Amino acid sequence: MANGNDYFSFFGLPQKLRMDTAELEKRFHQLSWKLHPDNFVRASEKERDISLALSSELNDAYRAMREPLGRVEYLLAHSGMRKEGAHKQQAPPELLEEVFELNESLDELRESREASEHGADSATSGVRAKLEAAEKNFAEKLEESDAQLDVIAGEWDAAIDAGADDTARRALMTKMNDVLNRRSYIRNLVNKVAAELAI
Amino acid sequence: MGRTVGIDLGTTYSLVAYVDKETKRPKCIPGPHGSTLCPSVVSLDRDGSVIVGEPARRRLLTQPGRTIYSVKRLMGRGPADVAGELKIFPFQIDPSSENVIRVRLGERVFTPPEISAFILRELKSWAEQYFGESVDKAVITVPAYFNDAQRQATKDAGRLAGLEVLRLVNEPTAAALAYGLHEKQRGLVAVYDFGGGTFDISVLKLISTDQGDIYQVLSTSGDTHLGGDDIDNELQHVAREEIMVKFGVDIATQPAAAQELRKALIAAKHELSLSDSAGVKFPLADGRMYARTISRREYDQLIAPVVARTMVPVKQALADAHMKPEKMEEVVLVGGSTRVPFVRQVVEEYFGRRPHTELNPDAVVALGAAVQANILETGVQDMLLLDVTPLSLGIETMGGVVAKIIPRNSTIPASAQDNFTTGVDNQTGIDIHVLQGERELAKDCRSLARFQLKVPSGPAGLARVEVIFLIDASGILQVAAREMHTGTQSTVEVQPSYGLSDAEIERMLEESIENAEQDFSERQLIEARTEAEVILRATEKSLSQTEIAIPADERDAIETSASALRSAIAGQDYKLIRVRVDELNTTTTPLAERIMNGALATALEGKQLDQV
Repeated sequence: MANGNDYFSFFGLPQKLRMDTAELEKRFHQLSWKLHPDNFVRASEKERDISLALSSELNDAYRAMREPLGRVEYLLAHSGMRKEGAHKQQAPPELLEEVFELNESLDELRESREASEHGADSATSGVRAKLEAAEKNFAEKLEESDAQLDVIAGEWDAAIDAGADDTARRALMTKMNDVLNRRSYIRNLVNKVAAELAI
Repeated sequence: MGRTVGIDLGTTYSLVAYVDKETKRPKCIPGPHGSTLCPSVVSLDRDGSVIVGEPARRRLLTQPGRTIYSVKRLMGRGPADVAGELKIFPFQIDPSSENVIRVRLGERVFTPPEISAFILRELKSWAEQYFGESVDKAVITVPAYFNDAQRQATKDAGRLAGLEVLRLVNEPTAAALAYGLHEKQRGLVAVYDFGGGTFDISVLKLISTDQGDIYQVLSTSGDTHLGGDDIDNELQHVAREEIMVKFGVDIATQPAAAQELRKALIAAKHELSLSDSAGVKFPLADGRMYARTISRREYDQLIAPVVARTMVPVKQALADAHMKPEKMEEVVLVGGSTRVPFVRQVVEEYFGRRPHTELNPDAVVALGAAVQANILETGVQDMLLLDVTPLSLGIETMGGVVAKIIPRNSTIPASAQDNFTTGVDNQTGIDIHVLQGERELAKDCRSLARFQLKVPSGPAGLARVEVIFLIDASGILQVAAREMHTGTQSTVEVQPSYGLSDAEIERMLEESIENAEQDFSERQLIEARTEAEVILRATEKSLSQTEIAIPADERDAIETSASALRSAIAGQDYKLIRVRVDELNTTTTPLAERIMNGALATALEGKQLDQV
């Protein structure tokens, strides 16, 4: 980072996750006026290079910071605490049963689609309805994860205000990492179902 | 130092514009034929000279084999990409084409950037004649959905035309800039830009801040091969079929007749934007006549599939901006194809509001480019464009899968870092393949460049190279690399997959200078004469000013220099004209200074005499 240690300080903000996004946008615009290459077209090559590097960094930072999820991802990655699950493709234990059912329905849909391609008359509406219900169910779980992350974000911000020590911070980051892993598993699932249903 | 202009390098027409210093309004510059529209048509004469614009367009009918239109469709593309186009467009792709297409015009072959450079050079000369000053810098607009190779090709064309391209600006963004200035618009704006060969949709947020207005692009999408050309092709398809059935004549085999038919159908298309029906009359070579009437209803049905194709990117752009159509506070129509009533109807129905059409859809992009050119030239930054990259940038990883490193619709400049290491012992290079596109597999994305990072030989995994991929404010990729252990900055030779290398451009520049020795002195002569006329007019004006007392000997000296310059203009020696211009400048300096210091000083505001 050219300016401070992380994206939070780049915007002159404390390292907190709940954020006034209107304020963030205002700062993004202020910095854009200062750093954008349009301001340096007639400047020396060195100044132009610096403008290009800083303004791209500003845009990268704003892209990462404008959504709550992006802020959590960034905080963990920047602190070296973003650890993807050892078994990325494995379902979290509490979801095992639902995922098993979902995969069965997906197989059923594919089989009946193949059958109808070969001329056989087969109704897919039943299995489609089942999949749509499952998609809705998992989409809700995705929202639950977001809500969970927001709660931990609140805890994190309180810990920052209280000047919490490293151990306490790491514990919160580990919690966030777990939710992120679960969330990313569910999101892949939702995408997979949506893709199959779109065919 | 020359002036800076804004250029809309369009598929069908190109325009050049500037901001008038007095009115502070952008204005398009007319060419020698009086029109501000320069047909994007280039023709090679038998004597080797290049003809551009209206005269070239006329030659489409008489010399189709030496004349090319819609070359923008070929910019930044490889021969395989355009195979489909060749069925419809009479491009003569030369067999020597490899990564870069080469087009045959008569006995010579040219790359698309060279042909575009002819158009840019023509516009440059329009502006130079108009200003009486040289023009050496430009802001050039490109379709928002242009990829890296297409952008680079446009920038190369500028360089070949002797223009420093300060910035490439996306066409819908330029249009928004022109409209924003015109209407003082704020809030969410959708720009639907349907031109001759390309379609773009951009969603923007216009924000007022203390420093000025920000035009922030939230998302963009489009199709770089969808435009009025496609409407023409639908009409041609119907007409060719009917001629085949009725007269047993295949027009496709007769290039001149095909152009004649195309011209008649384009006239009918224009008529259908104004009336409920249009007649087509096309005489065949044997005297028989193909004649029919096209009703608006039939026309709308015929082009509905083309218009429907524009709605796919529209929906994508809104989804990417997390917006619904009814959220848009303004909808702006840009590009000649938005004159088609059915297009307007479809857009109005989708957004649920009447779109803006106040500004001339042909000129609005050039006007916006002029505004941006003026900002960059004067350094008066009262407006800021924050544009986005239209396509995701990625790197090929194991198994041909693409890892996205900069997502589409990221505000530019944007960057991403990635670390690479060696996989086997004593490996001395790491191959990197950069791609653009949204698909999962490298084979389905657009290859931008391949390059090899040189690393010190050693055990596997020891060398670590950090690579920075940066998309600049024109949407063009730059790559820098650093070896982590030694800290040495390695130079990255990026060989573009579908573009000209620096060496090739240098060679073309040299060749064009050699070939154009004649052109060069002619141009110098024109420029010198224009400059001389400007200073002569200014001198006469100053001499006629009664407020300033001019000593007789000074008046004599000025008049002697002026008449020497007049006789130089009558000759062919541009160097002599320049000498005489300098002399007149010297003799008029004391007078100019007195005028400056005199009562008129405030009105003149520090201008040189030759600018009065």
